[in-house]
Amino acid sequence: MLPTWPAAPPPGAESSTGYATSYSAPAYTAVQVRQSFGQSYSTPQPSYPLAHTYGPSHSPSPSAVDSAGNVNSLPSTAAPEPAKTKIDWPDSVRRYVQRAFIPANLDSTVTRAEMEARLKETITQANEKGVLNTLDWDTMPLPQHMIREERARALLTLQPKQQAQAQAPTHAPGNKKRKSWDLTDGAAPGSSSATPPPWRNGPGRLEDRVSFSPDKRDEPLKQPSKLNRADKRQKRHEGEYTTYREETPPPLDGPVVGTCQTLEKRFLRLTAAPKPSQVRPPYILRQTLELLKKRWKKDQNYSYICDQFKSMRQDLTVQHVRDDFTVEVYEIHARIALEKGDLGEYNQCQTQLKALYKLGLKGKPNEFTAYRILYFIHTANRTELNNALADLTAAEKKDKAIKHALDVRSALALGNYHRFFQLYNDTPNMGAYLMDMFVGRERLAALCNICRAYKPDLPLRFITEELYFESDLEAAQFILDHDGQALLEDRGGTVLFLTGKANSLFESARTKAFSRVDIKGQI
Amino acid sequence: MEFNTAFFHEFSEAHAQQDGYRLARTLTPDLPTDKLRKIWRSQNAHSIRSFLKRGLQGNAAFTGGLDHEELPGWVEVYATYWNALGEILAARESSNEGKNKSSELVWTRAYEGWIDLLNALLRGYQSHKFKNWTIICLYTVCKHLRLFAMKADDERNSNNVVDDSPAANFQDDFDPETNKRQKLEDCVRQLFKAFNICQQDRAALEESRKWGSYYIANLLLKSYFKLNSASLSKNILKNLHAGGKDMPDVSAFPKSQQVTFKYHEGVLAFLEENYARAEACLTDAWNKCHKDAVRNKERILAYLIPCHLITSHTLPTEALLESYPRLQKLFLPLCRCIKRGELHKFDLALQEGEDEFVRRRIYLTLERGRDVALRNLLRKVFIARGFEEAKDGEKPVRRTRVPVAEFAAAISLGSQERIDNDEVECLLANMIYKGFMKGYISRQHSTVVLSKSGAFPGTGV
Repeated sequence: MLPTWPAAPPPGAESSTGYATSYSAPAYTAVQVRQSFGQSYSTPQPSYPLAHTYGPSHSPSPSAVDSAGNVNSLPSTAAPEPAKTKIDWPDSVRRYVQRAFIPANLDSTVTRAEMEARLKETITQANEKGVLNTLDWDTMPLPQHMIREERARALLTLQPKQQAQAQAPTHAPGNKKRKSWDLTDGAAPGSSSATPPPWRNGPGRLEDRVSFSPDKRDEPLKQPSKLNRADKRQKRHEGEYTTYREETPPPLDGPVVGTCQTLEKRFLRLTAAPKPSQVRPPYILRQTLELLKKRWKKDQNYSYICDQFKSMRQDLTVQHVRDDFTVEVYEIHARIALEKGDLGEYNQCQTQLKALYKLGLKGKPNEFTAYRILYFIHTANRTELNNALADLTAAEKKDKAIKHALDVRSALALGNYHRFFQLYNDTPNMGAYLMDMFVGRERLAALCNICRAYKPDLPLRFITEELYFESDLEAAQFILDHDGQALLEDRGGTVLFLTGKANSLFESARTKAFSRVDIKGQI
Repeated sequence: MEFNTAFFHEFSEAHAQQDGYRLARTLTPDLPTDKLRKIWRSQNAHSIRSFLKRGLQGNAAFTGGLDHEELPGWVEVYATYWNALGEILAARESSNEGKNKSSELVWTRAYEGWIDLLNALLRGYQSHKFKNWTIICLYTVCKHLRLFAMKADDERNSNNVVDDSPAANFQDDFDPETNKRQKLEDCVRQLFKAFNICQQDRAALEESRKWGSYYIANLLLKSYFKLNSASLSKNILKNLHAGGKDMPDVSAFPKSQQVTFKYHEGVLAFLEENYARAEACLTDAWNKCHKDAVRNKERILAYLIPCHLITSHTLPTEALLESYPRLQKLFLPLCRCIKRGELHKFDLALQEGEDEFVRRRIYLTLERGRDVALRNLLRKVFIARGFEEAKDGEKPVRRTRVPVAEFAAAISLGSQERIDNDEVECLLANMIYKGFMKGYISRQHSTVVLSKSGAFPGTGV
């Protein structure tokens, strides 16, 4: 016993008996919190009829995959020369095709792909009907004119069904080409299953769909030889004609309004503006969240969960949804990432959460501010730590979790490992997962300290207690892991730790442990 | 000045004498409002270019300085300058009248007008063969660009105009803060262009625009500090160091530029806890700082003092603090506690100044002054224990075996809070490990055995 303070152990310090019991308990008090967190998963949310929207009967809107599949199945040769039967095209047909591509006849609102599709369709139909030679190709309307006319009709009617009827006569039923055509014209009114948002409507959008810049097309070619060259170039690229190329999506002029009804979606990094048909609106996302909570509780499949959360976050972002629900999504993802030690993902969430809290949204800002501080301790990011401290308000400093994190910081700054490990043992929320990340290196630092200061030896038990190992065995293992076998000695039943002989044994390990803080996604 | 004969005369004289400062004065927006109005009204957008062309050509013919390649460049510079003045005039009038309509961001327009001027000037260097002595013009234009950017930001923030730029629409990140400093961030991009144009000049050193690098770099550093992104500042430093042999040494530049640069470099090192480097840079800045630039000296000291506390455990004298009341208020209580080894009072003083310390980013450094305070306290305990009974004829030796409990008593003296002996041992271990104290702890005897020669290095005992 210690001679100076014979009275009851001071508050904050533990008597040796209390000590013994407490140290055998695991340091992960946070587990309980996690359990309660888990409970929130199981809270039933009756307002969302899950099974309803989840059935296979639901038909998803056409996606890029569909269209790609269709396109690949098309014959890959140019319009006038189908691959299978070598038809000797009559001159009239050839003239018609040439006429279609004369620059003067080109229409800036009709893309080449559209024209080619139409040309091919017209000629194939004529061939199938056996009227190839009898039709008057010289007076046949050009494909671009047909398309323009059709669009005008579609604009007039605006009703999807009527539009489909109006278009029906010109196409053979079930023609695959028709479908990719539709997709090309995806922004046309009525082509998507849901009502398009107002800014996607109206004739103004037609211009935006042009993939070639109009001026290039309108520019009259000066020399007739160029015409031939253009023709040759077309032939050279014939293979391309039938390849369906997705048009550049129209420039974004407002948040996307999602129409996707599927709950689950894989995460895909966006390289262009998202399609509304592939974005889930908030009410669907709420159902997704409930589903994911259940899944996480049941399967604990982190890679699946992480992927799903990322796609959820993406859908929220592209729709500019920044409300309490957004906060909830980020918070849950952050906690799961924390639990799994995925610091990169955690950090992304944390950065966003900070911004979201700033908007005054509901959530658990204090809990996450505390994590944030612990995180910066872990990454030894002094600049950010400084900034985080500067941002704290007086009220926040009094919060239990934040105060804990601040105490951890100050204990480490002053090298007070005694205090640090006490705090480690008593971490609110899920902070222990973060502290686990750096407790190893702090143990090394403390050992360096102890080895320099204590002579000639110490009971191993002292190390165990001071550095909060779960048992003497674990403490011994830690020392052995760092080549300290020569420092352990059994003397009369007590294991001694020969600090006097350690010299600077742990120094290099310590330096190494502190230099290696490299996390993907770190700011 | 007004675009009249006097102006053309001034231009051609400055040009003939290659007097950059004189030339730069013709490009300042720092003019009284009525003067601005006069200039603005003296011309119109339709004829300004042809007028300038005639004027500059005519006068240059006398002195013979301006060649045909430079001429269109300068015409463009002064035309954009005139245009920007119009915007500035409008902005000033609008803010003077005090009836600033909330939708009208007049200073944003002034800022954008000034960017045109900067671009015209940069084009001058790129395609119109402007000489390097005219770099002072670039200083003037860049300096004011930053000021206009900050004005534009202030104006927008006070008007609460939200500008949700569509570019960020499908980015995963958004930050409400970025909007607050939008124009300053844009300004940084513009300045960086100017920086590169200086930095990448391959002409011989005496004719190189490299001489403009540090001036622009300083403006960039100032902006980055304001934007709170110290990490970006490091790119500037790297960029300057990467210049290597091609780059003139910083000491060859004007002193004012050196001081600004060294100060920022020092603070950056300070923030990275590289105190040795920070001390070197800040000391250099301190030595070269103009004696009357009190505000600047104060800034330097604010970091140099905590720096010294870490590197050499030294405190500023009270006489030094006396001449800087702000610093005196900031540091004196803390310094006194450290000196007297009053641990608890130190904690209180640190807490007291916490907000200000944190704001200045010196909190984490000052916190480490606690070690020095603790050392001084423990030293007092050691001295108070007195000497061993002197043996005949020998010098008396201090009692070097100190029970841990005595140190514990001293530590809890100030706060009157009992402290766990294990924690006291931990603090003592730290003292020993960090070299504040020489000796070792004997756990078995709960005693510290201190070194007979210099138990507290550097303090005379």
